[in-house]
Amino acid sequence: MNGPISRRELLRRLGVGSAVLPFLGNLPSLALANAAEPKRRLVIVFSPDGIVRKNFWPAEPGPFTTPGPVVRPVDLPPILKPLEPFRDRLLTLQGVHNKVKGDGDNHMRGIGCLLTGIELFPGNVQGGGDTPAGWSSGHSIDQEIRRHLQSRPETATRFGSLEYGVLVPNKADTWTRMVYTGPNQPVAPVDDPYQMFQKLYGQLKDRESMQSVLDELHEDLGKVANALPAEDRRILEEHAALVRQFEKELAASRSSQVHAVPTIEEGIVEQNDHMPRISRSQIELVVSSLAADFTRVATLQYTNSVGQPRFKWLGVDEGQHELSHEPNSNEAAQDKLTRINTWYAGEVAHLAKRLAETPEPGGSGSLLDHTTIVWTNELGEGNSHSHEHIPWVLVGGGLGFRMGRAVELPGVSHNRLLVALANAMGHSSLERFGNPDYCADGPLTGLT
Amino acid sequence: MTGFIDVPRIGGLVAIIATTLLAASSAAVADDHPGKAIYQEHCVRCHGENGAGTADQPDPLVGDRSINQLAASIDETMPEDDPSRVDAEAARQVAEYIHGAFYSAVARDRNRPARVEPCRLTMRQYQNTVADLLGRFRGGRPGVDDSRGLKAEYFRGRSFDRREGLVYERVDPQVDFDFGLEGPEPEQFEPNRFAIRWTGSIVPPETGVYEFVVRSAQAVKLSVNSDWDEPSLIDAMVTSAGVDEYRGSLFLLGGRAYPLRLEFSKATQGVEKDGDRDPNPASIRLLWKPPHGVLETLPERCLIPHGCDRSYVVQTPFPPDDKSIGYERGTSISQEWFAAANAASIEVADMVLDHVEQLARVKRDAGDRPEKIRRFATTFAERAFRRPLSDDLREVVIDRAFDEAPDLDTGLKRSILLTLNSPRFLCRGIDDAGDADPFETAARLSFGLWDSIPDDALWKAAERKKLSTVHQVRAQAERMVWDRRTRAKVRDFLFSWLRVDLAPELSKDRSLYPEFAPEIAADLRTSMELFLDDVVWRSGDFRRLFTDDEVFINGRLAPLYGADLPADAPFRRIRLDEGSRGGLISHPYMMSVLSYAGVTSPIHRGVFLARSVMGNTLRPPVEAVAPIAPEQHPDLTTRERVALQTRAVACQTCHTMINPLGFALEEFDAIGRRRLSEGSGPAQKPIDPTGSYLPREGQQASFRGARELAAYIATSPDAGEAFVQNLFHALVKQPVRAWGPETLENLRAGFEKSGFDIRRLLVDIMTVAALPPKVDVAQANDKENPR
Repeated sequence: MNGPISRRELLRRLGVGSAVLPFLGNLPSLALANAAEPKRRLVIVFSPDGIVRKNFWPAEPGPFTTPGPVVRPVDLPPILKPLEPFRDRLLTLQGVHNKVKGDGDNHMRGIGCLLTGIELFPGNVQGGGDTPAGWSSGHSIDQEIRRHLQSRPETATRFGSLEYGVLVPNKADTWTRMVYTGPNQPVAPVDDPYQMFQKLYGQLKDRESMQSVLDELHEDLGKVANALPAEDRRILEEHAALVRQFEKELAASRSSQVHAVPTIEEGIVEQNDHMPRISRSQIELVVSSLAADFTRVATLQYTNSVGQPRFKWLGVDEGQHELSHEPNSNEAAQDKLTRINTWYAGEVAHLAKRLAETPEPGGSGSLLDHTTIVWTNELGEGNSHSHEHIPWVLVGGGLGFRMGRAVELPGVSHNRLLVALANAMGHSSLERFGNPDYCADGPLTGLT
Repeated sequence: MTGFIDVPRIGGLVAIIATTLLAASSAAVADDHPGKAIYQEHCVRCHGENGAGTADQPDPLVGDRSINQLAASIDETMPEDDPSRVDAEAARQVAEYIHGAFYSAVARDRNRPARVEPCRLTMRQYQNTVADLLGRFRGGRPGVDDSRGLKAEYFRGRSFDRREGLVYERVDPQVDFDFGLEGPEPEQFEPNRFAIRWTGSIVPPETGVYEFVVRSAQAVKLSVNSDWDEPSLIDAMVTSAGVDEYRGSLFLLGGRAYPLRLEFSKATQGVEKDGDRDPNPASIRLLWKPPHGVLETLPERCLIPHGCDRSYVVQTPFPPDDKSIGYERGTSISQEWFAAANAASIEVADMVLDHVEQLARVKRDAGDRPEKIRRFATTFAERAFRRPLSDDLREVVIDRAFDEAPDLDTGLKRSILLTLNSPRFLCRGIDDAGDADPFETAARLSFGLWDSIPDDALWKAAERKKLSTVHQVRAQAERMVWDRRTRAKVRDFLFSWLRVDLAPELSKDRSLYPEFAPEIAADLRTSMELFLDDVVWRSGDFRRLFTDDEVFINGRLAPLYGADLPADAPFRRIRLDEGSRGGLISHPYMMSVLSYAGVTSPIHRGVFLARSVMGNTLRPPVEAVAPIAPEQHPDLTTRERVALQTRAVACQTCHTMINPLGFALEEFDAIGRRRLSEGSGPAQKPIDPTGSYLPREGQQASFRGARELAAYIATSPDAGEAFVQNLFHALVKQPVRAWGPETLENLRAGFEKSGFDIRRLLVDIMTVAALPPKVDVAQANDKENPR
């Protein structure tokens, strides 16, 4: 679905299999500056086309584990079942609406205003209804947080933010972009794990590649020089001296400062059927980039709004968007969409698991104790294209919210939640975000 | 001595300078140095002629002591049998003599005969080599022909489906259209639903960063030098309010063709709906900003209406090459260069891995993938090394790289890195197999004419050993001269020869020359470029560089330089000023470059002529002198002021040559417009454009004005020799003297005999330089090509 294999071949990178050395040193990690302040991290996960409400939202608000002398766990809804191990660190927010209007169909505004909270510009992209639109007229909350963190030495990191994707189509339009650095400035997520690996660890790999050919290079230089009369050797001697110096520098660069480098499965191709493998590889890279403190803000975008992945490995042959248009009365479709969304929940749970397994570097607990995953969607429901009850599922302890419960809100604007996320990430001076008309009541409260 | 000095005196002085300057390479101490006689009397019997040593005293007389140290030592110890025979004064003289003649490192270096030395690739060579190394595995380049513009396909509907919607196809000279609300043609297109695709190639004139700009409020997409499945340089299929200009930059190598595709769609994108109408007016314009130019509509002359395969351009920056002796050479490997070559090798290896399917022509899951990839790596190494792999080398660069790697891609990457970091790739002249090794000859030819590796035709000729005779080498050179890469190299050479390769800042006094906008400066450079290209490739006659009285003028330049053209006229040849122009030496670009912001500079013009055009060595001024400001002497002409400023005897040694050359161009003001007088009101004086030049051999020549000067230069042996020598060095990057003392003169004489045909000279030079010096090419050239 994403262009020919040949292009993807392009992004296959070297030595991501068994040849990878387990450690890396000397990559710039600006965040060593101040380890005293506990780190806060945010990972926003996007999946498309709405959910099945009846199988997604908890039956009623309240804690997932009833307190009292007898601890009684409440049943999680079917779609959220994979998050069972994290029920105490789980928070669902029902009743948060995307109220942004203006140009663009609901899918376009769904994804384009999801993190920006502001209208799309008029443009030439015609959706299934409504008026044509262009790009968002504002930046997204992750980038707002990024700016704030990067402006302070103690929270600045090498990348500031990382935008991961899974099978995002190779075309730039309003339906494929969620993150914006500014008005009319959408950011393309990197949906190829090898490309992301290269971005994170490329320098290291390059040095390793050079290291692997140095012996042969010495040998070759020697042979060439020996065949030349002495008076013609000068330039080769210069060359050989620099190769020796380079070798020494390589050896010296293996400093004591080391981070684990993830191993990525080989042979992944950007094809529908590889979606689970791509997802797991990207999750490994999210975890490792947080562990290495390359960034504290990440987004992980599964396909795109109106995304059409075919979940053949779940026994679903239709495309997801096509299915999402089926009425609620179509039980077979509801069942398939439930399985699809349960799969997404499983990926979120896997991310949480990997974060929980990774100790917090230089701190106490695990990465998950200092990271919050926010799983969301551009629609509250696929067939009605509703912007009401946008899915918001939070996992982890990075924002200091009170977890382990389902919260029901009275149809609040999602801009207020975006502000609350930024506040909880330490950007406490932010009072409104996106279109200010939707923030009149200030940041969403009751989360802590 | 005041003002101007008399002509006989100039002649005498110039003769002395010329001799001294030309002799500078032979010895630093005069032959009649008193120390020499003392050496001959007391020292030569043991130390030999020129300190070469004798049977008794075999060590050559060389070392690193200073003259004072030497003198003290000689006084005390020499001659060994009776030191008293040389007193302190004689010891000092002999020390001075031997130090300067052969003892010191400097003297030894000076005495070393010119020879061909191994060198590393220059930046230009590295970039071109990589482009050709990888380009070899892709398709072809468009040939050099006269068609210009872009192929344009006009569609009804919003997509680019030829079967469904193609209305017509044509060639558009450039992309600059305002369709208004009506669209291209109301009978054939719906005004709000049409699409256009322009395809073809661009040929950027020089190497550098080009900024591409598309102006349109409609959906547009621009791809330059990319495969169809790679991201576009500009992707604006989504339009959004307030944005109607898109920019993207690319580093491109000059003189090569790159594929270009521009798509334009006047319709909404996304879901196709019946009622879908966009009532905005439609327009589109494709512009670029070349490295030394201004933002302009991408001109027709740089567009070709047929496509080509994408090129691979190394983006890693290299440090500049040594140009201390007038031409770029890879004399030594610095740390910066090593680091750049290293980074570039990784960049190329990544490019290869990214495009391995197209390069090795292998599918991802093909069963023969391992063989094909090894075969690719082998060919890659062979072409990079400019010779077939020996078994030994194959073992290291291919077998070991792949066998010891954990997977195929790692093996390929190692093999590429080994190849590109090997001296066999990075250096030239280090593995000559001797005996007119045909692969070495092929490489000399290709690096000479293209700064790149041999192409398939040369490679085959080398394989079949068809590169050993003068005739065979000549035939190849004659073929290669017409390649676009030769044009690019010659263009760069000419700009460097004229010392405008770095595009000197050209801004003029706004109060005196209010019309001289940056666009004018950029147009003048383009005009110069078109002129050089026209002379070399349309006629080939070197003399026309000086005798042409036509200048390339466009609509923007026309009013300033007295031509009558519509404002938007493209460049065309126009005879300016009743034929008083003399080719490049009076070209308005050169005249502007060789002037101050407000007034002309006969000194800069004279130095340019004496040094670049006539090939004389000039030393820097004895002391730094600030030019006299015109306001200090409002009653003097520029000519008189310059004469006044340089009247000191110390200045005159060089300025007797410089000034009379520069004065002959005084007919052209600081922006290169013709003028007959200088100053205004009572201070107005007529221009005196008389001048003279004393050649290295023969009689002094006198001339009046640019045309007479140009006519003299066109056939002057000095200018011919300088051009031949400059061109030789630019092509070969080795001293011409290494091919024997007669080679330069032989080439110059051949050049003259051929009617000063520059293309012929390129062939002659390469035929000489591609074969080992012992082959008497001059004679063979004559025999095979009776003139």
